[in-house]
Amino acid sequence: MSEARDAYIDNFPAEAKVVRAAFYSSFFALALGGVFGIIQTLHRTDFYRFIDPADYYTVLTAHGVFLVISFTIFFLVGIFTWAITTSLDREVEDIRFTWAWYLLMAVGITLSGIAILAGFIDSIDMSASVLFTFYAPLQAHPLFYIGLVLFVVGTWLAGLDWFRSWWAWKAENPDERIPLPTFMVLTTTLMWYLATLGVAVAILFFLLPWSLGLIETVNPLLTRTLFWFFGHPVVYFWLMPAYMMWYIMLPKVSGGKLFSDPLARVVFVLFLILSVPTGIHHQYLDPGIAEGFKFIAMTNTMFLLLPSLLTAFTVVASMEHGARQRGGTGYVGWLKALPWRDPVFAGMALAGLMFAAAGFSGMINAGMNINYLVHNTFWVVGHFHLTVGTAVALTFMAVTYWFLPQVTGKALWSRSVALGQVVLWFVGMTFMSNAMHRGGLLGIPRRTAEPQYDGFEFEAAVGSVGELDAQVALGGVLLTLSLVLFFANVIGTALNGRSDALPANEYAETLSGPEDAPLVLDNLKLWTAIAVVLVIFAYTFPLLSIIDRGGLLGPDVNPFPVSLESVAFLTFAVEHLGTAALESAGNAVQTVVPGVIR
Amino acid sequence: MDQATEELTQSRDREPERKREIGHDEFDPIGTLVLIGLYFLILVALWFFMYFVEFLGNDPTVVGLVLTVVGLQ
Ligand code: HEM
Ligand SMILES: [Cu+2]
Repeated sequence: MSEARDAYIDNFPAEAKVVRAAFYSSFFALALGGVFGIIQTLHRTDFYRFIDPADYYTVLTAHGVFLVISFTIFFLVGIFTWAITTSLDREVEDIRFTWAWYLLMAVGITLSGIAILAGFIDSIDMSASVLFTFYAPLQAHPLFYIGLVLFVVGTWLAGLDWFRSWWAWKAENPDERIPLPTFMVLTTTLMWYLATLGVAVAILFFLLPWSLGLIETVNPLLTRTLFWFFGHPVVYFWLMPAYMMWYIMLPKVSGGKLFSDPLARVVFVLFLILSVPTGIHHQYLDPGIAEGFKFIAMTNTMFLLLPSLLTAFTVVASMEHGARQRGGTGYVGWLKALPWRDPVFAGMALAGLMFAAAGFSGMINAGMNINYLVHNTFWVVGHFHLTVGTAVALTFMAVTYWFLPQVTGKALWSRSVALGQVVLWFVGMTFMSNAMHRGGLLGIPRRTAEPQYDGFEFEAAVGSVGELDAQVALGGVLLTLSLVLFFANVIGTALNGRSDALPANEYAETLSGPEDAPLVLDNLKLWTAIAVVLVIFAYTFPLLSIIDRGGLLGPDVNPFPVSLESVAFLTFAVEHLGTAALESAGNAVQTVVPGVIR
Repeated sequence: MDQATEELTQSRDREPERKREIGHDEFDPIGTLVLIGLYFLILVALWFFMYFVEFLGNDPTVVGLVLTVVGLQ
């Protein structure tokens, strides 16, 4: 039986090692991020407070960076490498190069991680409690930025590796269509190259020299805008690999075929074109950017709904195809024929369901005027725990149950535990995220260690703040338990012996194949050119006007490496300057606004 | 859990029990239409509901929020 085995590790033993290393790095980050997640949940909701509130931002930074930078990106470089080698059916061009980019990423994120964690130790004069958005005037130790640069350069080289494979394959197969998984990897990589330009400029020209003391000041609005130039498309860098799994794995585990290869290509092309020129939708409340530019960003954002709706259709139709082949009938009865006991299927399907819910809160966020209702509230945190925290994270965990045996050659430790894990994540997230959304509607702020104030209470129309806090904490505990089950399975699998009964390394076939897709879809140069032009349209004028008004290096601002002195300084500043400003602003608003509105 | 049974169930479950083969032309994704239609209705309902949360439940948000959060009202 063993000679019949046809798993990934059998065909690509060298690549399987790199993919495995990337997965383990990703899981390590997930474990760290999860620990910080439960700490801050219990702290915020006042169920258990053992950290100094001044350390809250260090915890939050660690949670954000480890989860959305290291966990997601390490995982996706792993599956992208799998996708390229499997769908082109060729080894990487030079395995040493592959290891080199992996190591660069690992070294980079370790340096950034050290800078963040050093913030907990008072005797070390180093901190990077700047949150994963690292805006000025928050300032990190240079090591944080240097680590990020190395990490991103590592991902660029990974992209180059995938392109090299494709170029070599194309030379040998000049007339063939790009295999779908490779197409997805390449379009995502192009999008990533374009997106990371913003953060590269922000770090290399402004934040790093500023942190090193080479320049005195920066223009905060400029670096913020450059951050969001990257900060929106990065969400598609997380999401597109999850979509890839929904397109090429989910139909297979449902027992069917991908409904349409051409539609899948259209979706990825749309993401390449539309992901970047939308970043300003995170800045609807930033003064200093004209409404007109915000309106353009909103329009592009609404267009971005299109590929997501196309995805919903294609993915559900592929599942339905599987269900009907398995004997399912009826308008909705076919849902019962799906393999709900398979953790790979159940995890991905539940992740998709959560993503549909996130579609609604995303539409609220995206509207320029309604955004005012929820901006910087707990609602937003609820939203992205549905998107990156579930649609992406749960999909990644679910497919791990398929990939882990493929790259280790060992059977999964326990499928029942795996099933329990994905369901628990879904239930935990339902509690946590729903309560976060509702809390946001009451005006409860995000990024706040102790959102409780003397002489003021948030008023809930339904339920109470205590009830919301309890749900958030309960959800957080369930999620943490789910993570424990996940790691038990990862470790148990690693300790298992070699298995002879692994499924073959395959992905879904298609009902309507690439021969039905217009050739122009494969013209990557064309789509990249269009993407660049759209970015130039969307960003030239906002950037010019920001620089024109605030200067390249900005007005004089005080950097805030978050330490206790600066907290004291902040308190002083807020007390003495803030109250005066607020009083006069409040008076002005109180006199003007009621007149206008009431 | 017993390793051998575990592997057995795995290989059995992995081979989806395909009762019939449905090709491109016979497949009519009516169930998908139903689900997406349902989703669309939910979105419309929520959108409608938002009107009450945003405009009737509160004072206009920008003002109401700022003033209450900083304790001026
Ligand atoms: C055990 C599971 C998790 C728990 C209990 C948890 C809890 C939380 C809480 C309570 C916050 C808000 C803190 C605040 O605004 O004051 C938060 C923020 C955040 N979480 Fe999670 N989370 C979990 C998993 C995840 C996952 C899987 C991801 C992404 C893959 C994620 C990404 C984020 C991000 C990006 C932030 C925002 C950080 C910032 O504001 O700078 N979380 N999390
Ligand atoms: Cu965005």
